[in-house]
Formats: sequence, C-alpha cells, structure tokens
Amino acid sequence: MEKQELINQVNEVLAEEFEVETSDIAPDAVIKETLQLDSLSLVDLVALIESTFSVKIQNSELSSIKTFADLYEFIYARIAK
Amino acid sequence: MDKPLYKGEEIKKLLNQRAPILMVDTLYEVSDNGATTGLTIEADNFFNLDGQFTEPGLIEHMAQSASAFVGYNAIKSNSSAAPVGYIGEIKNFKLAGRLPKAGDKLLTTVTVQSVVMNITLFTAETKTGDTTVASCQMKLSV
Repeated sequence: MEKQELINQVNEVLAEEFEVETSDIAPDAVIKETLQLDSLSLVDLVALIESTFSVKIQNSELSSIKTFADLYEFIYARIAK
Repeated sequence: MDKPLYKGEEIKKLLNQRAPILMVDTLYEVSDNGATTGLTIEADNFFNLDGQFTEPGLIEHMAQSASAFVGYNAIKSNSSAAPVGYIGEIKNFKLAGRLPKAGDKLLTTVTVQSVVMNITLFTAETKTGDTTVASCQMKLSV
C-alpha cells in the first residue's frame, strides 16, 4: 500500500468512527485533541486500527503516538514489514 | 460442550455480585481471549417483567460474563479474590429478536477485542439455543 493511500484510509476510518471531518485531521495535529479522546475512547482507537489494518498497538507504544503523523508512521512501518 | 469449569455456588469465586443480581450461573469455557458463560432464567429472576427477561438483565448478564472471564484469570494468577470491575461503556446493544423468558437458558460468548491500560474492550453475544438474542460491545475497567 502506498503511504498516501494509507493516510487517506486512516483518516477516513477515524473520521467515521469519531465523527469528525477528514479536513479536521492534519498530520501535525494532536490525535487526542482532534478526536476528543478520553481513556475510554482511546480503546476504540486501538481496536479500530487493529481491526482495520491488523496492526496491534501495545500499551508501551501508545505514548509515542501523539500526532496523526506519528500514527501514520507507526502503521506504515508495521504494514511494510 | 464439555463439563463446566464453574457452576452453581462455585461461580461466586469469580464474581462479586450476589443474589438477587447474580446473573451468571455457569462458566463453560475460557480461552486466551474470551469465555463462554450461561444463565438459566428462573421464574423469580430479579430482571423478569411479566415472565420475560428484560434488556437490563441481558446487559447485566453480558457484563458479568466479561467479569467472570476476568475473575477466572485472576484466580488462575493466584489472586485470592475476583477483582472489582466497573463497566465503562456499553454500546451497539442490539436485541436480535424476542426477549428470553423464564426457563430459557442463556449462552453468552465474550471476546476481548483490545486492552489499553486497565480498560478491556469486549464484544458479547448471547444466544438461546442456536438463536442470537442480543449482542453489544462493552468496556470494562478493572
């Protein structure tokens, strides 16, 4: 999968799940703020990424994923493996 | 189905709820990511209304099914008692058909979808026989 294709897909599934516009999602934006995540909805994000891309995010890895760019890189690196 | 792992009074080792709101009476199977539980709906069940088991009872049964899975793993890890868990969220509850009635036997499968920190996302599906009664997603904080 091309990286831009992945980015578009990530943005689409996040926008649908968390009811925001894809235009609200910018690479440098902070995920928790843009998607208004709390500790409960953070679980939805992790489950969504796992079910959509078959990429598991470990608890220890969550703290390094702050922006959407971080998330794209994280998923892309694991898909590319 | 094989011999139950826990049933009757033994189920109290896995759950903190007690009568009249103990809504799981059997733990049939446990795997790495889920469990199968059961409940026979007695005529005097707390959640019955006019002989039918109501939606709050189904949700309580599903939540306790998830708790039974957590309790089983805690006991297997040499914990002295089942942990106290809290329902964080229930969503996508779907009642597939008619409500169960007194005498029906519920069979519920809970499956772990994701675990983040101390919050576990489960899916739950409850059947009577081969017929799906209800399903939902829930988050349990332990």
